[in-house]
Amino acid sequence: MTSISMGTGRSTADRLAAIRGGVQPKRHNARTIAALTRNPGCARRAVLDTAGVDKQRLAAYIDFPARFGQSGFAIARGNAFEAQVKASGAAELVRLLRERLGLPIPEVAYDDLETVTGREKESPEVRYARSRALLLRAAAGEEDAGTLFDHPLLALEVAGQRVYLEPDLIAFQHEGRFHVVEIKSFAVVDGQADPAKVSAAAIQAAVYVLAMRQMLAEAGHDPEIVAHDVILVCPRDFSNSPTAVLVDVRRQLAVLRRQLGRMTRVDTMLAALPPNLSFDLAPDADGVPTRAPEALVEALRTVEARYAPDCLSVCELAYFCRAEARGCTAALGTSAREELGGIERVETALGLAKGELSPAEEQEEAAALLRNAARLRAEVLGTAG
Amino acid sequence: MAESVDAIEHRIDALRAEIRRAVATRDTSRTRALRAELRAAERDWEQAVADLADLADLSAPTGEAPVGAEPGPAGSLLPVREQVHHALTLLSVPAAPRLIAEVHAAFFGPSAPSLAANRLTHLRRDEKRSFETAPYARPYHLCAALTAAHLAPARGLIAVSTWPLERRIVGPLSPRVDFLTAAVRVARRAGTMPDGSAPVSKLLWRFATNIPGATGAPGTLDRHDTVDPQTVIRAAEAEQAVHAETDRAQRKAAADRARRQLDDVQQLFGSTLRTLQRKTA
Ligand code: SF4
Repeated sequence: MTSISMGTGRSTADRLAAIRGGVQPKRHNARTIAALTRNPGCARRAVLDTAGVDKQRLAAYIDFPARFGQSGFAIARGNAFEAQVKASGAAELVRLLRERLGLPIPEVAYDDLETVTGREKESPEVRYARSRALLLRAAAGEEDAGTLFDHPLLALEVAGQRVYLEPDLIAFQHEGRFHVVEIKSFAVVDGQADPAKVSAAAIQAAVYVLAMRQMLAEAGHDPEIVAHDVILVCPRDFSNSPTAVLVDVRRQLAVLRRQLGRMTRVDTMLAALPPNLSFDLAPDADGVPTRAPEALVEALRTVEARYAPDCLSVCELAYFCRAEARGCTAALGTSAREELGGIERVETALGLAKGELSPAEEQEEAAALLRNAARLRAEVLGTAG
Repeated sequence: MAESVDAIEHRIDALRAEIRRAVATRDTSRTRALRAELRAAERDWEQAVADLADLADLSAPTGEAPVGAEPGPAGSLLPVREQVHHALTLLSVPAAPRLIAEVHAAFFGPSAPSLAANRLTHLRRDEKRSFETAPYARPYHLCAALTAAHLAPARGLIAVSTWPLERRIVGPLSPRVDFLTAAVRVARRAGTMPDGSAPVSKLLWRFATNIPGATGAPGTLDRHDTVDPQTVIRAAEAEQAVHAETDRAQRKAAADRARRQLDDVQQLFGSTLRTLQRKTA
């Protein structure tokens, strides 16, 4: 993307680099890409994420630290379960795949792609090249091309930046289909799991499906040989024994494609922003950022946000935006925001409900609704009290 | 036992809240002290989770006291490397620390606490150092399995230096073949044991559930005391026959390559791509 914005002759990439300050862009991963599909209307996050600003550091520096603290535990528990399922050449997984996919007995080849050369620190390029070679051989239907690819590395372009992604496992059947396998440590009880967790896992798996399909398409293979059914492996009934379910991620794929496409149109958004906008956290000799927190808060306020309660689980800036949005109807959630279309502030809504304010033309409908609600409430309280 | 995982998690939550308050009041010295405390608590947590994982698999599922509760003379007196050697000799294939610890606990009774799976990982590095300073000074070394593709050390597997190179090579089919071999070895050994050792039958059952036809009649899947060693052996050997030939050929080819390209240390502990390139360049 080389379009020129602001008439200053700067390319979008330069502009994003300036916004980010003199650091490497923060790398995306499947989780952060998945988060992009929640609250898509927020320009603030779109700009920060596209530029690759370290939102975690930014939020901490302006004294609204993100509280994703529990995830450390979740990750450790998840890793323990994953290790169990994958022990001895993924013996437990092989059984599940035989049950779910009808994987035939000879198909047990297992390739560990987490390390390739045995060196402790290994570049993603090496791992990606090896994964790509093995997966493309399988796609080409070559003899002995493998069945289970443990931690392969995939790549996806996100806002002009190559992002490496690491699915838990990809299984291949010689009948010609790839399946993304996602291993999670939340329990499936009587065939039911927490829907929020399942949907988070589904969208994360969809990111892998998308990356995998793009890789195949670029190499001239049919991308549809990656199944839209992903395999979710979870502990069954709080025991340690794993169970597998198929999850259809077609809807998630559609959402993702749309969001990723949108991020490449960021120059329109940039055009509306102050030309010197920057979230540079460059530290001085003592490691303290040189700019005052107030300056960064100021910069944040120039980019429009769209706070919703959902932000708390997906965006590092949520505590800042929530504080900022206090008194806004939007902070009450998406449904309230829609019902109260055209009314920005909670005080306005209250004023309209009590009839203290007279509504502007576009507020008529919501105002009638509010007055009605106020009347009902009064009646109910009146008879009850 | 030490503090429970849940208790530590509570402590960590409380510390995080404290830190937030300290940061908000810009009390830097307090923040720093709290952060150090948090790091320590997180280390405790990791240890507790690791211990939990080890205990969960070693204890008897019927609610009897775990075997480790009764300290036997054979267990903790042996050095760790010998305990590992015992377990690996029984299995006869490269294995992950976790399985080694389980096998040792099931067949040789209590093991030294240091055999806990998470502490075995550094063992290989020590063995390598010892081999480099005094090659072949010991009757055996605990060493690495090598990947067939790059002759690099296979992640997380421990092997014995006196095994033929072919047995220490891991091709794409080898993890499955080795799993089946281990199942046969465990079943044979279990067949010679007096009945009723819960850790042994649980171990055998875990192998059996992941081999088609090894648990006998369907529906007995959840009963680990009903697994018949002979059935396991027959089922494992039947599946092994499917993969054996290709696996053997792949291992042999890689082993030949290793003997040509690698020096003694590398043949035991694996090469890295860099040294391999230098040698072949
Ligand atoms: S927390 Fe703020 S920046 Fe993040 S998505 Fe919500 S409104 Fe946008």
